[in-house]
Amino acid sequence: MKTFAWFCIALAMTLVLITAPAQAAKAFKIGIVDCYSGPPAAYTNDVRDAFKLEVDKINAAGGILGRKVEVLTRDSKFKVDIGLSAAKELIYRENVDILMGTINSALALAISDMCRKEKVPFFVTFSKSAKITGAKGHRYVFSITENTALAGKAGAQGLAKRPYKKYWIAGDDYEYGHAIADGVWNNLQKIKPGVELLGQSWWKVGEPDFTPYITAILSAKPDAVIVATGGRDCVPFLKAAKATGFNERIPFFMHTATELSTLKPLGLNAPEGVIGTSNYFFYYPETAANKHFVKNFEAVYNRKPAVGAVYGFLAARYIFGAYQKAGVIDTEKFIDNVEGMWVDSPVGKVTMRAYDHQAMLPMFMGVTQKAAGYDFLIAKDIVTIPGEDVMPTIEEIKKARMK
Amino acid sequence: MEFAANITLAALLQQVLVGLSRTTILFIVASGLSLVLGVLRIPNVAHGSLYMIGAFCTYTVATLFGQSTLGFWLALIIAPLIVALISFIVERGLFCHLYEREHLMLLLFTFSFTLVFGDLVKLVWGSDYRSLTPPAFLMGFITISDLPFPKYNLFLLVVGPLVAAGLWFLTQKTKIGKIARAAAVDREMVGAIGINVNLVFAAVFVIGCYLAGLGGALVAPTQNITQGMDHAIIIEAFLIVIIGGLGNIWGALLGALIFGLTDSIGILVWPQFAIVFPYVAVVLVLLFRPKGLLKSTW
Amino acid sequence: MFKALFSTKTTVIGILLLGIFLLLPQFLSRFYIYLLALIFATGLLATSLNLVLGFGGMYQFHHAVFYGLGAYALALFATKSGLPLWAGYILAPVCSAALGLALGLITVRLSKLYFGMLQISLGSLVWAIVYRWYSFTGGDDGIHGIPVPDLIGSSTGAYYFNLIITGACLLLMYLIVNSPFGRVFQGIRDNPERCLAVGINVRSQQLVGQTVAAFFAGVAGTLFVTVEGSVFPDLMFWTLSLEILIMCLLGGWFIFMGPMLGATIMVTLRTFVGIYTEYWTLVLGIVLMLLIFFMPEGVLGLVIHRTESKEPAAREAG
Repeated sequence: MKTFAWFCIALAMTLVLITAPAQAAKAFKIGIVDCYSGPPAAYTNDVRDAFKLEVDKINAAGGILGRKVEVLTRDSKFKVDIGLSAAKELIYRENVDILMGTINSALALAISDMCRKEKVPFFVTFSKSAKITGAKGHRYVFSITENTALAGKAGAQGLAKRPYKKYWIAGDDYEYGHAIADGVWNNLQKIKPGVELLGQSWWKVGEPDFTPYITAILSAKPDAVIVATGGRDCVPFLKAAKATGFNERIPFFMHTATELSTLKPLGLNAPEGVIGTSNYFFYYPETAANKHFVKNFEAVYNRKPAVGAVYGFLAARYIFGAYQKAGVIDTEKFIDNVEGMWVDSPVGKVTMRAYDHQAMLPMFMGVTQKAAGYDFLIAKDIVTIPGEDVMPTIEEIKKARMK
Repeated sequence: MEFAANITLAALLQQVLVGLSRTTILFIVASGLSLVLGVLRIPNVAHGSLYMIGAFCTYTVATLFGQSTLGFWLALIIAPLIVALISFIVERGLFCHLYEREHLMLLLFTFSFTLVFGDLVKLVWGSDYRSLTPPAFLMGFITISDLPFPKYNLFLLVVGPLVAAGLWFLTQKTKIGKIARAAAVDREMVGAIGINVNLVFAAVFVIGCYLAGLGGALVAPTQNITQGMDHAIIIEAFLIVIIGGLGNIWGALLGALIFGLTDSIGILVWPQFAIVFPYVAVVLVLLFRPKGLLKSTW
Repeated sequence: MFKALFSTKTTVIGILLLGIFLLLPQFLSRFYIYLLALIFATGLLATSLNLVLGFGGMYQFHHAVFYGLGAYALALFATKSGLPLWAGYILAPVCSAALGLALGLITVRLSKLYFGMLQISLGSLVWAIVYRWYSFTGGDDGIHGIPVPDLIGSSTGAYYFNLIITGACLLLMYLIVNSPFGRVFQGIRDNPERCLAVGINVRSQQLVGQTVAAFFAGVAGTLFVTVEGSVFPDLMFWTLSLEILIMCLLGGWFIFMGPMLGATIMVTLRTFVGIYTEYWTLVLGIVLMLLIFFMPEGVLGLVIHRTESKEPAAREAG
């Protein structure tokens, strides 16, 4: 007991003596909590890197309203308790002005709730849960990424134009998988009432072998399949599709199948003919803004930007743009200015809807195909679906938040 | 609660074959763990990390040779050897001083290795996905009653029994195998008759880890190669070893069969709950045969 | 009994310590107050594990499932039932104890490694149910914004609440360990065959131990909810169970306060090393390795060995 007492005293003294963050008192701090270990890092690194590029530009021009911007990142290792602790450390100890993150939906929801209590603006950069700006939305949270409701509506619109009638749904058995499948299917039924669901297959996240599921689906002989996989399983599923020739037998739709992060690791061995939606391609649209963005990113980081880079870019433009407009570092004025604000981006003009704080990003639907000059597949026959067309109505948001 | 439609004989046969190819990987990894746990009594939770390192090394070696057929075979040979080398260094440098400690302390020690290896892999290979394509002659599929069966799975079906045969030969017919089996049961006696038990232990440890690396190398062309592979495999490996009987190679095979088949048949019969079938099997086995299905060395 | 258990010296030190902890929030910034509140909850969890691990000699490999259930129970009572919050705080540990009893009935038939592995399998089944049952438990999204009143939910409020509850539970557990039941329990750890021979029902003693440990883990779960206001399936995943095990071994698993120290070390290391590098697991791993080589009895064990030469520390037979 005595020794324990000594340890406690030593610990308490150490904690008290640990210096407060020894940074310049006047710095404007932005904290990012995200998963930088393991598979999700492939997506999250781009967000941070593109954001930092913009921060460097702002600092070179004198900072934001005279204050230098500092970016602090914390790795949540995809664990919610670690991420939540890190977010609290950033707010309580580092006193960040803005918080950003994360790809993990449970963590995003937890941090969103905390930011509501602490009145710190939180920009969600990758989590696709519709609850963030929907049922659990509030004044202090913003989303600059698409979510399952938007992606579902866009996917349905694209699929409705195709001749398929009998569908099968397959995917990861967790919230994201079910949400995106529901999003696509419910909207598809509304647009095209004749479609029929033959059956469903759900596998665990991180499933090592998809062959048994693929054979089960092939036996059922649907016209098309809606594949609802999360970031982790997109690549393995596409691999299994190629290995079993699935994509040549039955067409399937997978959200993010056409993204660079999904297709690059597979190289030229990715399956062709896969229908996918994505928020960004570095090769389309071939506007000056996009080309400029790609060039700058590649010059610094030596790789082509994937969709995360656009999210990082957008976050920066909204944050710094709104403070400039407000003219003062004040949270409430900042929020008032972000609402309804539009920014120019590599995908065109993007507006932040005032009611639910959801950025209205366009969706691009395409089909995977080999192309000359690339050692990975790209999307062809790209159709642009404007963000405004796929947003849930304000009535729907109101109803969701009432519950 | 839906039962999948179309449970035809063809589909069932397909699922059995897929389950068996999964069994190969599980068996190879679990047998390595069984050796280490049964003979050395080390609960090596870093076994999964070695599996992961094996997969990453396979990726690197194969890519060095352009992911060609030559690259594939070279990787299959070299990657497990690299893992074996790492384990040899770790064993001689660190583990051999700790054999007298409590099991829980050894567990703690191997756990610290999972932490270290996990971050080392991130340092060396970065955090991107890696994807390895199988060599050309193993790409594509054969068709069994109108259903595709990937050629690589066929390859695994061949490799599995080969490795099992090799292990059987090693443990039953070679001198070192016999000494190791004796040392597992009574290490003091073996030491008393003049055999250097420490060397035997080192050899067994290295072989066990080699198997983990081999499992990783074989699984590399079929999955994402990422951090997190270690967590996924280690629980399954431990459960298989427990239900099979510690230190018993055939037990590992039996356990792997149970795991692989309950999973794949479960997917066909009751897809919603296929994930729990292996765990239910474990619970049932332990309730009726608490020491595992086959004889264990403890 | 109280006088017999605590010498005057220990009581004075204990009161001094309590006094220091009561006054600390005046001097510390908000983050450290939050961190300490979290450490109290984690330390309580680790100590509850040690009841059966260090004092009972049971290979409890999936203790987190009782912790997670306690947290979820409180979250569900607070958000879904109409019951007042304090009822949730009382019912949640009871639910954990019930689960401890239920799982224990199946697992105590086995011993050592087999006991641990069976517990992992059963615990994983519970986790899978919580993970899948989206409509009730929120699935992998978890439950957030649990309505904890500011009195105990704010940073300082949670600190004092956790301090008092943890202190009370530690006292209770200490009394249990030193009670007749506790002595028999430790006897079972040291020599189960002899205990059987003198007519002790080893299995039912272990079952009681399990239930009690699960109860306190459930309390720790409610403390977690008080500090963080959220629950998620990670709280009952086997990796957390392994972490708590490590905390006990790290601090010294045959000393009552060892796990508390181990929890403190782990949480502190994780938080502060994480600020400087994303490779903090590497640092933690190396620190653990060094500790094992040079401090095999855990940190507290080493210190006690050096400073006191009195009673031989009880060890578990290999």
